[in-house]
Amino acid sequence: MFQPRPMTHLLIAASKEQMASVVTELYRHQIFHITDFVDQGKEGYEGVKIGVPFENAGELSNNLLKIRSIESVFQTAPSTQSTVQMRPAETIRAAIDSELPKIEEEVSSLTVKRSNAETRIRECEQRINELKPFALVPLELDLYRGYESLTVFAGYIEHDLDISVPHEKNYVAGKDGNFIVVFAESKNAADIERQLADAGFQSVSLPVESGTVQAAVEKYTVELGKVTQIREDCTAKIVELKAKYADLLAACDEVLSCDVERAEAPLRFATTDEAFVIDGWIPADTVDKITAALNQATGERVYVTVDPSDYEATAVPVEYNNPSFAKPAELFMDLYSRPKYKELDPTIILAIMFPLLFGFIVGDLGYGLLYLALALVLRKFLLKMGEMGTKAFIVILGAAISTSVFGLLYSEFFGTSLPWHSIIFSRHLPIGAGMEHAMPQVIELLIISALLGVIYISVGRFFGMINHYRMDHPGSHRTKAILAQLGWNFILWGILVLILSVADLNEYCQFPFALPTFVGIPTIAGIIGAILIVVGCVFVAIENPLDLMEIPTNTLSHMLSFCRLAAVGLSSVAIAMVVNFMAVDLFISPAMANLDVVGVLLIIVGVIILILGHALNVALGILGGALHPIRLHYVEFFTKFYQGGGIIYKPFGLKRKFSEE
Amino acid sequence: MTVEAATALASGYTAIGAGLAVGLAGVGTGIGEMGIGAAAVGATAEDRGMFGLALLFTVLPETVVIFGLVIALLLIFV
Repeated sequence: MFQPRPMTHLLIAASKEQMASVVTELYRHQIFHITDFVDQGKEGYEGVKIGVPFENAGELSNNLLKIRSIESVFQTAPSTQSTVQMRPAETIRAAIDSELPKIEEEVSSLTVKRSNAETRIRECEQRINELKPFALVPLELDLYRGYESLTVFAGYIEHDLDISVPHEKNYVAGKDGNFIVVFAESKNAADIERQLADAGFQSVSLPVESGTVQAAVEKYTVELGKVTQIREDCTAKIVELKAKYADLLAACDEVLSCDVERAEAPLRFATTDEAFVIDGWIPADTVDKITAALNQATGERVYVTVDPSDYEATAVPVEYNNPSFAKPAELFMDLYSRPKYKELDPTIILAIMFPLLFGFIVGDLGYGLLYLALALVLRKFLLKMGEMGTKAFIVILGAAISTSVFGLLYSEFFGTSLPWHSIIFSRHLPIGAGMEHAMPQVIELLIISALLGVIYISVGRFFGMINHYRMDHPGSHRTKAILAQLGWNFILWGILVLILSVADLNEYCQFPFALPTFVGIPTIAGIIGAILIVVGCVFVAIENPLDLMEIPTNTLSHMLSFCRLAAVGLSSVAIAMVVNFMAVDLFISPAMANLDVVGVLLIIVGVIILILGHALNVALGILGGALHPIRLHYVEFFTKFYQGGGIIYKPFGLKRKFSEE
Repeated sequence: MTVEAATALASGYTAIGAGLAVGLAGVGTGIGEMGIGAAAVGATAEDRGMFGLALLFTVLPETVVIFGLVIALLLIFV
């Protein structure tokens, strides 16, 4: 909690004969994060080179390439394939040797046949299109060619024209353009060409077929039908093959991906002529396990050592270490940036506060139930997407439940009241019939939001102090940085004390509890507030005097920024109530009072407004309800302490779905 | 001018003020987000990892319109 999983820096060295068994063993455990060796020719590394892949890597990659190409013909991928059964990897490998050439041949012959058919289809279609204009000219196709002293012009033209030299002409006006065919002596060709060009002539190629146009078109149409049938047959056969082999291919893909990754692993190692070293990280609690496993696999012919240095460096891969309920919020963290190894990991705060703030903003039983329905509808789709989809589903579910609960507390159902009075804050606005005397507790909502802001900012600053303490090198710089964080808190609290010494918030709002106020002791409170501000400013200035410029934004504006929780929520309520008012009070109620044909139409219009309006508000609710809390965390909270930029922990190995070793 | 007319006028001005507060703040935010949003989309298209930071930058000016909304709420309800 608040802390990534502890990691240990491990170095594994052995002679090259052991490389295969070490790689296999590491791959099997799926916990070793390899740091790639980079050959920089540094001193002390003479003779150390990047390793070469195992012998069979080329063949494996080739096979994998074949499988991927078949998968692309089938339009399938292992990620979209669901697991039917786990098969032993050995039988899959045997299948790759025995079945793959056969499948490949079958598929490639089909694809060649299909692509030939597709080419012929295009040709036929093109011929038919080219012949179309000639259908209107009453000439046989043989007449267009084979002359020695005649030139034939055929094409589209803007308008009919009189040609000044001897010729024969066929002109057909049509809605797709006017078609013209001109026969003339070759010696006049240039002259005619010029006259035609003046009339906007665009030539088309002359037909090569013989007989009537209709017969030629008929011939191509028949052929088109035949090749289309061939294409359909090929596609059907490919679909058949897909159904037969998709599972096997997914398994082959997985096994080969694993084999290739293993075979190419030496590219990430440092090797000499006789030995190799693997540099990497594993979770601290698995060191003994992996050491024992490696020793066993190599018959104790491997040297495994823990390197205690280097933990300050940014090279440590980071794996979250959160309780299971907070796992979904890791989605938001990775969206921003993975925490550094020594940094506080605020995932758990996001996990708790995101649904709460979402509910606080949208807070409507009707919308909450809609979101719940949406989550359940999307469930199948999201769960298929793997781990990320599952996380997203839980986030949506949490937000939906929280929205419903806050809806019950606010007593809101699609903008209308539930049968009871609001339990925490009333957000019913004076909009619509019967709501004239509604008294929304706007001030209470604003104050509670701003107070939440104060808490968030203060906690953020404390986290900042902890982070500086843990991540900076000991010395005056670290002390200054920590004091500056404390100084910012002092300034914020000083301003707050000053405000409370001149204004009693209890006058503006009614909470079940009394808010602290210093109006009774203005002098003392004023002095304390002033001291806090001055001391705070000094602390900040010691680190960097220019930072004092940020006092307005870093304290007041960040605190007030939390008011968005109340404001966005109220705007959501307002939209819902306005929609209800427009639909019910303006259309449906008057129509119900006087029901006739027009009345029924008005009711339909009212219902449409109701549905569209609330649909819009549901969408806005998702956008506002989700974006604003996330933004508050990212901008107002994280900027106080969080840097991020940690390396994502990627253990060497592949999660298997279809095969097992 | 009667007292009722004056009160009505005052509440009318309040409403105009509230409208201006939200509207002008919204325009300001829009102008602010215009450039940032375009750059952020560009950066995200180049590198998906920029999304978090890009979103953060894009929503920075949004605070302004929230302030406007808060002022409007205070004008109307206090």
